[in-house]
Amino acid sequence: MPPPNPSFEVLPVNVITGFLGSGKTTLLRRVLASDGSGDTAVLINEFGEIGIDHLLVGEIAPNAVLLKSGCVCCSIRGELKDALAGLFSQRQRGQVPAFRRVLVETTGLADPAPIVATLLGDPVLRHHYRVGLIITTVDCVNAELHRSTQPEWWAQVTAADRIVLTKSDLVSQQACGLLTGELRDLNPAATLALAQEVTEADLFLLGHGLHDEEPSAEVKRWFERSPRHRTGVLIERLPGVQPSALPHQDLASFCVEFANEINWTAFGLWLSLLLHRHGKDILRVKGILNLAGLPFPVAIHGVQHLVHPPVHLPAWGDADRRSRIVFIVRGIDQQWVERSFHAFAHR
Amino acid sequence: MCGLCGLLGGESSWTAPVRSTLPARQERLERVRQVNRILRYYGLNLRDFQGSAYVLANRTGRSEMVGDLGEIWPLAEKMAGRPLDPFDPELLQMLQAT
Repeated sequence: MPPPNPSFEVLPVNVITGFLGSGKTTLLRRVLASDGSGDTAVLINEFGEIGIDHLLVGEIAPNAVLLKSGCVCCSIRGELKDALAGLFSQRQRGQVPAFRRVLVETTGLADPAPIVATLLGDPVLRHHYRVGLIITTVDCVNAELHRSTQPEWWAQVTAADRIVLTKSDLVSQQACGLLTGELRDLNPAATLALAQEVTEADLFLLGHGLHDEEPSAEVKRWFERSPRHRTGVLIERLPGVQPSALPHQDLASFCVEFANEINWTAFGLWLSLLLHRHGKDILRVKGILNLAGLPFPVAIHGVQHLVHPPVHLPAWGDADRRSRIVFIVRGIDQQWVERSFHAFAHR
Repeated sequence: MCGLCGLLGGESSWTAPVRSTLPARQERLERVRQVNRILRYYGLNLRDFQGSAYVLANRTGRSEMVGDLGEIWPLAEKMAGRPLDPFDPELLQMLQAT
């Protein structure tokens, strides 16, 4: 039994999401079986009246809490909150081991944004937890079907910090390569891996994102593949598919850059108004900022209209001091964003 | 409360200052000034209230309190009677002219 009253740390919550049958539970089992997962509490979601997922993973996670109703969405924020608050309370009283992170597995129909909203917006939870990584499983066999018919698939993929391609051994190398390229176009700031390659689970799935010991490495990953200019809409390139028949046909990603130092107040007002008015069409924002008066960079990131508190990075990695922001958008032009920012930053 | 400036705690919005070089009250007034650059286009005005809240007012004299700048845009839209759009070309033109 651990000693009571463990430190009041702010604990990361990693979210595993992915469409129905895309291998979330299999991945979770593998992660929890690895050596690095020892200090992990797990929240499992059930869908419908029978907690199938609970039956599958119940034995490997003794401190798992089963959420009782439906999918993790707006309607059960209170339940998610109660589960997380209860878990923290048990931890502090020494009733469960002093876990260092939480994994939440969503149902296949969940949009990750409400989970982020719960963690950012709840006045109690935000002092005890922060969002770590959003991990999305993508089923290589059914990806085309899911993206053609399911809006949730797009929400899960664009919100991801890590994308794990599952069942890649059941499709041709060419099909897997095509899907990988398309996912990178859609969410260039996410890191991709095949499920069978995820051997160092501790680093890839159990990391803490911007709150790792080396947050600069996470930020570097955001921009490794981010296009300077708008990436073509990926579904336009799918053979035999009519883009107009699909949801989200205007999805695109781009990276905007600003050479001059940025005034934080002006930036905050601009981005908060942009997300207030167009947040439903801005699916993801990740950026590194060179702020006036600060010798170090500041990282920002958000999912839809929800923005995490900014994170101070220890230092610039190189001589490049440009501010860069990756956007994943629906029907929003890069030039509108750039022009709008320059007007708001004009002093 | 800060004994020198009389301000209670900090704002919870992500837009709160990351590390200010100004005294807290001066920083707050600078933020109000920058918000008013935008709100002027919509006929609205924001002012600080005792360092603990803000008062948003329109030209007819209607005013409402707002606790945090993170809450201001929905209220401003309600009082302006129209959406506040950061892509509005006329708004951008006005901002660049000031």
